[in-house]
Amino acid sequence: MRKTFEISDRFIEAGDANELLYEPLGGDLTFRRTRRYEIDFEGEENNLVSFVEKTLRDPISQDLKKGEDSAFTAFAFVLEYGMKPGALDLEKEAILSYYRGIENLGFELKELNIRQRIYLFGNSGDESDRFIRDICNYAIHNWSVILGEK
Amino acid sequence: MEERPRALLLKFPGTNCDEETARALKVVGFSTEIVPISALNTETLDGVSLVMLSGGFSYGDYVMSGRLARLVTEQKIGAGLREFRDNGGYLLGICNGFQILTQLGLLPEGSLVENTSGRFQCQWVKMKKQADSPFLSLLPDEFEFPMAHAEGRLVTMSAEDARKYRESGAAAVTYDQDVNGSFEQIAGLQDETGRVFGMMPHPERFLYREDHYDPDWKNSAPDSAGSGEEKWGSGYYLFRSLYESVTSSN
Repeated sequence: MRKTFEISDRFIEAGDANELLYEPLGGDLTFRRTRRYEIDFEGEENNLVSFVEKTLRDPISQDLKKGEDSAFTAFAFVLEYGMKPGALDLEKEAILSYYRGIENLGFELKELNIRQRIYLFGNSGDESDRFIRDICNYAIHNWSVILGEK
Repeated sequence: MEERPRALLLKFPGTNCDEETARALKVVGFSTEIVPISALNTETLDGVSLVMLSGGFSYGDYVMSGRLARLVTEQKIGAGLREFRDNGGYLLGICNGFQILTQLGLLPEGSLVENTSGRFQCQWVKMKKQADSPFLSLLPDEFEFPMAHAEGRLVTMSAEDARKYRESGAAAVTYDQDVNGSFEQIAGLQDETGRVFGMMPHPERFLYREDHYDPDWKNSAPDSAGSGEEKWGSGYYLFRSLYESVTSSN
């Protein structure tokens, strides 16, 4: 089975998207970041959710969204990126190392896929190429762009 | 020869302020041992007076700062740190150590998130003592420390909680102005016993007067605590306060 979780920060407001670029774009684009976890597992779903809430989410400062839907709506576009298969993902390794150290969790984690999402808000054409160029590293990342509804 | 109180400094992968923090503890009188988290077990705490968590980027700050360090610590010793505190032990967390103590639930409920600037901030800050604390007894009401963090903005479940921390003395130290967006400008917290204390700025980086950024100040001003010991910076007095509290309670 596969479950998807997306974690966003409650206290961090949308920032100026030009901060992400080497050269300012102009305009009024703002951004927010989230982390998205796709987990393949076998066993009890409630135990997996409990593990995710305890391990990956801070109850004071973060919100957890379960399921495929995006954490935010009304975005211009989303850049989603993560480590290529075979590239060392240190966050993934740290989480898996912790997972392996616990007994009797009530589920078996088969695959963990971690993606970073940058939501861009504001009036824009498709400026995603600029963000891909300045944020993604072609050697280690793969990425996709989700366009907002016009 | 008088036996020195023992301090245990926990080192996680990514901890990087351990040596200078150990130096500060030794200078004020502690016998200090740096212990990798992989070697930690409940017996490691036997005979220890202080558990120290120093600054750095434990586990690369993955997921969020202090989160994985908390999980691994709980996995290693379970409720051991709570028992240690309940039996009279002291815990001090600086910067990443403060983040870990909040994650462990050993301090009043709060979380340290990204600065409102969205950037890593490395600067000197003026601070105010807001409550009595065994960690602050030798410090004046206002003093300076350097800070260096990207995730040092203290937030609570509601703004009202932070106000209560100010009123109750749980917020033992505050910044004198808004430097990172912390609720109520809180720079450090203590628990109800007063023996658990955490703060973002780095006292170990201001152990000596000569560490101060201003050559005019360090060459001319009297020392911060007014004791006549000209060579010490404010950081010395924080660690010395702790030492005196530990030795008087033993």
